[in-house]
This record gives sequence, C-alpha cells and structure tokens, in this order.
Amino acid sequence: MNTLVITRVAERQWHALDDDFVVGRGDASPRPDGRVFLSVDAWHDDVFAHLAEAMLAALPRPLYTVVDEADLDLRTRWVQAGLTTRRREWEYVMSSGGDGAVPTPGLTLLPVGTAELDPLRQLDRTIRAEIEATIGWDQMPAAVLSRPLDPTHYAVAAELDAYVGLARLALLPRHTRIGLIAVRSDHRRRGIARALLAEILATTHARGVATVSADVHEANTAAIALFESAGARRTGSNLELVIH
Amino acid sequence: MPKATDGIQLEGTVLECLRDAKFRVELPNGHIVLAHISGKIRKNYIKILPFDRVLVELSQYDLTRGRILFRYRN
Repeated sequence: MNTLVITRVAERQWHALDDDFVVGRGDASPRPDGRVFLSVDAWHDDVFAHLAEAMLAALPRPLYTVVDEADLDLRTRWVQAGLTTRRREWEYVMSSGGDGAVPTPGLTLLPVGTAELDPLRQLDRTIRAEIEATIGWDQMPAAVLSRPLDPTHYAVAAELDAYVGLARLALLPRHTRIGLIAVRSDHRRRGIARALLAEILATTHARGVATVSADVHEANTAAIALFESAGARRTGSNLELVIH
Repeated sequence: MPKATDGIQLEGTVLECLRDAKFRVELPNGHIVLAHISGKIRKNYIKILPFDRVLVELSQYDLTRGRILFRYRN
C-alpha cells in the first residue's frame, strides 16, 4: 500500500485509490423508509477503515449497515468504525408441502396469483398504516419493503367481501422466500396467518419448490411461533448496525 | 483517471457455504477460492446456496480469496 486516497465518485459512492488503482469501494443506499445503509468492499482492514471514515464524515446520521452475524471480520470492522448493534433478524428455512390450510368457517383463501389488485391494494394500505402506527417499518426485515404490489406474488385471506390477510411470496426455484405474512389487527388470533402459511407451503410444494425461507425480527414472537410450528429451523442471523 | 479495477472477475459455482459467512467457489479452471459476499449482495439480502452460479472477483493480493459480486439465476 503506497498512497491511499479516498475519492467520492458519486453522491453515494466512494473509491479508495492506491497508485490510481481502485482497491476499495464504498456505497450508501437509501431504503424506502428513508434510512441509509452503507457497504464497503475492501481486501485490507486499513482501506476499509479509511473508506468507512470518509463515508461517516460525509453523510447525515443515523447511518446503518447489515452484517451476517457469523461474519466476525466484517462485524469487527464496522464496530471499529463506531457502529453498534441495533437488532437481529433470524433466518428461517422450512420444507414445503402439507395439505394446505384447514378450512375455517367464513374464511376464503385465495391461492398465490388469484387475488384482485384493488382490494389487495386496500388491504396493503391498511396493514402498512397499522404497522407504521405501532412498531414501524424500520423494525421489519428489509425484505418486506418497497416491492411493487403485484398480485401474482400474493396469497390472500378473504372474509365476506373484504381481504383481511396477505402473504407475499418471492417464488424462485431455489430461493423462494416469504416476504411478509400480515393480518389486519381486528382479525388476528383466529388462525388466519397459519392458514396463509399452510397455503403457501402447499403451493410451493406443488410447484416443485423444496424449501422456503423467511427473515424474522428476533422480537417478533408471534412470527417465530408461527414458523416454528410449521417446522422451520434457524439457519443463520443478520445484524443491523447503526451509528447516531 | 484511475485504472480499473480491484481484480479479475470470473464466473464460478458455489460448492459449499461455510459457517463464517464464507463460501467455497469453484472456477471454470477447477481452481477453488474462498469467497465472501459483496456489500451490495448483503444489503439486498440475496442468499447464496450451494450450486449457485456466481460472478466472483479475485483478490489481486491473494488469488485464493474472492468476493461474490453477483448471483445468476440458475
């Protein structure tokens, strides 16, 4: 390492240059909830430290990043830059299959891809407002954010003429994930989320998908109980770090 | 004008996910590197699994180490 120079090459991008070679990169990405997440790619600790220092000095705080909890090297680098752990998300994996949802009187389950857009949009708005008024989106795993509302990705629970619960699925052959399972607050504790999960696991199995994954906030005991009751097992965890 | 770039980029196949958030990736020439994921992949919660085809950037300082930049759709 000769002369290390940190250069801001765009509003949210930095390069570390050594003899005009790019030896490290930093990036700051805003999420839909307005929070800015940092990442740094560098082979050497000192390059990482210089990039992080430049980014932290240039950007308004708070600033966030996410690390795999098992990645002690990366976590240590960010902690040395001044970030602290804010929260943890568990990664769960469960097998697809089962017989689908047990019929519940008055409840209709619309399989993935069969919901209508307008009532789905109305339900999505209601649920988002409820979450925003309680724990807030910044406490939800990032995967639930910012996706365009596409009915082909949703299973829905309906009661009478209204949609009351939804489950969003990213259906990829080897990387199928549940982005969100949510039920309107006035319809909870009636097994609707469990029915939606059963519907998703049956649908994915029928489409040849062997396993489904989900990220869950460690404090979301209801979601943890739901997934573990379906045989989900923890496979890892991610930490969100912050600096104020 | 800076010269590009950190290192050589090659396609590879993930052989194994290790416990410390690293991956063993086999390159087309049979060479196996120990790789971690890039910051952008991490920020976007993209999972890497065995048999995934990935784009790897090799370290110019140590050709046994790599960084996964992209996961291809299999």
